[in-house]
Amino acid sequence: MGTILEVKNLTKKFGGLTAVNDISFEIRRGEFLGLIGPNGAGKTTLFNLIFGSEKPSSGRIRFDGKDITGLKPYQIVNLGIARTFQIVRSFKYLTILDNVAVSCLSPRGKKVASQYGTEEYASTILAMTGLVDKARIPPIVLPHGDLRKLQIAKSLGANPQLLLLDEPFSGLTHDESQAIQELIRKLRDDGVTIFMTGHVLRELMHMVPRVIAMVQGKYVCEGSPKEVANNKIVLEAYLGRGEGFA
Amino acid sequence: MPNKTQRFREKVLGFPNYFKYWIRSFKGSLTILCIIGLLSFPLLTTNSYFLGLFILAMIYSIYAASWDLLAGFTGKVSFGHAIFLGIAGYVTAELLKFYNFHWLSALFFGVLAAVFIGLGLGYMTLRLKGPYLALGTLVIGIICQSVFALNPLKPILHGDEGISGLPALSSSTVVIYYIVLIFMIITFIVLIRITKLNIGTLFKSIRDDETGSEAAGINITKYKIIAFMISGLFAGLAGGLFAMFNRSISPLIFQPLYSFYAIIMAALGGLATISGSALGAFLFVFLTAIFVDFAEISLLIFSIILIIIIRFTSGGVLKPAIERLKDIWDILLGR
Repeated sequence: MGTILEVKNLTKKFGGLTAVNDISFEIRRGEFLGLIGPNGAGKTTLFNLIFGSEKPSSGRIRFDGKDITGLKPYQIVNLGIARTFQIVRSFKYLTILDNVAVSCLSPRGKKVASQYGTEEYASTILAMTGLVDKARIPPIVLPHGDLRKLQIAKSLGANPQLLLLDEPFSGLTHDESQAIQELIRKLRDDGVTIFMTGHVLRELMHMVPRVIAMVQGKYVCEGSPKEVANNKIVLEAYLGRGEGFA
Repeated sequence: MPNKTQRFREKVLGFPNYFKYWIRSFKGSLTILCIIGLLSFPLLTTNSYFLGLFILAMIYSIYAASWDLLAGFTGKVSFGHAIFLGIAGYVTAELLKFYNFHWLSALFFGVLAAVFIGLGLGYMTLRLKGPYLALGTLVIGIICQSVFALNPLKPILHGDEGISGLPALSSSTVVIYYIVLIFMIITFIVLIRITKLNIGTLFKSIRDDETGSEAAGINITKYKIIAFMISGLFAGLAGGLFAMFNRSISPLIFQPLYSFYAIIMAALGGLATISGSALGAFLFVFLTAIFVDFAEISLLIFSIILIIIIRFTSGGVLKPAIERLKDIWDILLGR
């Protein structure tokens, strides 16, 4: 199990605000890693930096031994990193099938899709995510749970090695959330490395073996969910200082 | 799973069957009917006024359809589409009059120029979105108009008067009619095909969500520029034909009015339909022709009709028109 992603001294400043402050960590191949932190901790910014949506102020990111700092998102996707967004995004006038077909048409997706045909490949992905019976309808009529599934389905078209999931459970009911959890576990079993955020800890802590905690843009600690949940700084960030109540 | 060559073979061998099926469907028969109608129109009348109207409408159809590909399918609302019309028109006219090119090669170079303009325009306006793109393209159009009308540049660009007295495409209007019709049919086949191919899906994905499209691994810069180039190609074709049909061209072709024509016609027919542009263009040309007798108030009447149409068909007239026709069709077939 080698390292698939290596982040070194990554910093991002927006004017006077340091959203991500000197963060370093590694993700091993095939790992299932969580990233926690309260609102505004800089989780999404960190994702944006890895994915190339924003340029870091300083620091390096290496993926699969290659320096990917400063590459554009579509170049990064074609190297094998895919992501989903915190808000649901879809191509609203395309059918569900075409929504997925778009990423199958990227250079990286094409390599796989050309063996099967784009439509067949997209259908396979839909079957895996449980959307296949909705292939011909536009996403505007989908319930929120299916839209979350679609987010993941869209990212799978480009055949990612590393999947960045930004808050995959936000706004879901319990049952919907279960379905997504199952899907994510299935992907992990297929050998996709998964890096996932959440500010709601319940689902995330049950799923992942290793967690990184971030507070106010700074790296706090990493370890098993239990260790991290008992870390003093993490507890303070989530619950506030406890002296007066203990 | 079938591999690539097998799928290709299936497609080729399956085409006759597919065509048979398509021609019996409502859409197919309507299309064939329209094409036959246009093909046989000169048999009804050889009056050059009516033929002229049809030729103009067909040229405008090509022009509006090219705008629809860019705006309706790729989401890049250009308010300076007349740039393509003008540049291609000027190049065609110049080559035709001063260099004695055959009209086909002159047209070819005109179209080529428009494609390059599409490349440049696409690159220049890459980062612009929505109203800013509209403003940017509008201003570039106005700049073109002023530059082509400049007095100091008269030896090169022919100033205010432009180029006139081009050799006629043919002495017979019927021949011109068929030439333009062939170009129109080719344009619509190609454009409709493009929207159904993978590249069409990518264009639509850029229209719906640029960030999402890039996150799916698509080089959106490349596809945006390709959209501008394809759109430029067909708008240029319309421009070349327009110049040859009018046998003259002047800087007035760059004025925003001609850019708005494309928008009016495409929107009238229905955005993101391609074939709606043809309907819109024919409606536009006929309406202007009918009310041309009321000289001063023709624009007023025309505008009122436009407002009424837009009030009752928010998505253009093509879809409701086709639905009504389909009802009649079903009744005729006794369904």
